[in-house]
Amino acid sequence: MADTSSKPDHFEVRVLRQDGPQASSYWERHRVRYEPDMNVISVLQRIASQSQTVDGKEVSPVAWECNCLEEVCGACTMVVNGRVRQACTALVDRLMAEQESDIELQPMSKFPVQRDLVVERRRMFRGLEKSKAWVTVDTYGPMGAGPRISQTEQENNYPLSQCMSCGCCLEACPQYTKVELVQGDSESDDAFAERQDSTFDGEFVGAHAISQVMLFNGHPIAKNDANERLDSLMAPGGIQVCGNAQNCVAVCPKEIPLTTSIARAGRATTVRAITKFFG
Amino acid sequence: MATKLSAPFLVRHEFLLRRLHSLSGLVPVGAYMVVHLITNATIWSGAGTFQRAVNQIHSLGPVLPLVEWAFIFLPILFHGLYGIVIIRSGLPNNGSYSYFTNIRYTLQRASGLIAFLFIMWHVFHMHGWIHNSQWREFIEGIGGKFFPFNAATTATDAIQASFLIRAAYFVGVVACVFHLANGIWTMGITWGLWTTPEAQRKANCVAGSIGAVLLGIGLLAWAGFALRSSDSDAERALENKIIDARIEAGQITEGEAKHKRVPTEKKRSSADVGETVLGET
Repeated sequence: MADTSSKPDHFEVRVLRQDGPQASSYWERHRVRYEPDMNVISVLQRIASQSQTVDGKEVSPVAWECNCLEEVCGACTMVVNGRVRQACTALVDRLMAEQESDIELQPMSKFPVQRDLVVERRRMFRGLEKSKAWVTVDTYGPMGAGPRISQTEQENNYPLSQCMSCGCCLEACPQYTKVELVQGDSESDDAFAERQDSTFDGEFVGAHAISQVMLFNGHPIAKNDANERLDSLMAPGGIQVCGNAQNCVAVCPKEIPLTTSIARAGRATTVRAITKFFG
Repeated sequence: MATKLSAPFLVRHEFLLRRLHSLSGLVPVGAYMVVHLITNATIWSGAGTFQRAVNQIHSLGPVLPLVEWAFIFLPILFHGLYGIVIIRSGLPNNGSYSYFTNIRYTLQRASGLIAFLFIMWHVFHMHGWIHNSQWREFIEGIGGKFFPFNAATTATDAIQASFLIRAAYFVGVVACVFHLANGIWTMGITWGLWTTPEAQRKANCVAGSIGAVLLGIGLLAWAGFALRSSDSDAERALENKIIDARIEAGQITEGEAKHKRVPTEKKRSSADVGETVLGET
């Protein structure tokens, strides 16, 4: 356990705030009383209850998102001390051991900020839509027992199924760059959503979706759509944009073998491209 | 996911272009570079051996420019220019994520850019880009310094002209070799040859070994021109003897030789200066 006797009474937290979409961002310092076994979520709760900066200035509470508090939902993903991760499993004692100075919190930089640490991850879900990351079942009727899955297949697929769409792999990827569109004054919500989706489709889909393609293409029923998924990976913004920096696999909180998925998808699209070309 | 026909060419054919870019880096560009470095390293066997190697390449005669453009210049131009498109599509983040593979991501782009600029200049410096006598006259002094029938002496003179040129060739060779070796590794992932971390680790050893051997050959070739001290008068005389013998044997014509040897008025210019100075003292 961390040695609490050497811990300070208080510590400072630097938060990169933003009042709304497209607003300019600014740093704000907060002082938080040290308690044992804090995580960044509890730090943010203290900051919200104080609503006061180190200078004693009254401010609105810092906004953030969270749900499960056990690293399975991905909602509280943010950049903690320069590295993307979930706030719920970012433990203050560990952070202090890693880095003596203050804790620094920033929103993810690859997605449009809605407010403070809350970002809009619509593009991620568009990526899953684009690559048909689901099992197509065209009936509600009973279909009987499913096909048997070998132990090896199961062991290959299970890790990929752990993806919680948190976006860490995309935040750390040098090939995944931010796309932020602004809704026009006369533009309807639907029209804006459509414009966003068609823009996202031309941009890099990222490691998470590529890995989901490999998951569903390995599923006995979902693999009926295997070629369509591979075609989506060969469309603009597909697997070819990957630059092999391999940051995705290094930052993935679920330790999903993303670079293995990428290389397997590379192999599958190679075969698919040759088959399509020669018929 | 039908791609809109209105999308720009580079976007519509992104998959094909990226794969061609990956392939062209190995064949023909990378393969050519390996042959080129090995050929150049033969300089250590003497000007005569190197001349024979060059003559073999030039025995293609009038087809040579066609081969050069189809298999060397155009693939390099494609690989380099599309490489710039790729570099512009990413945003390195080594400050936040200093993983080894991420550093190599950035180095691959940096070395690619250096290699492309170096190769463009190198082809200008030695070859002059195009075979045209007026153009060659125009660029005299800065480009087109290599005369294939006086291969060893003209290449040595060109590279030993200054410290800056020697250094440029050193940096260029190192960048090219790193780019190829690292490129072989990433290429295997792109095409799906090595998929698991274990396979990628082994492939990394193989690519690293290829790189190390190639760096040895490359630096040997570099030293052969940039550092080797030689009796340039004797080498030039040997080269000229080979030319005369080949004309005598009917392998080449006087006319052909005229374009590919050091022009008569300039012949031994640097050596002449040296002799005059010696004569005066």
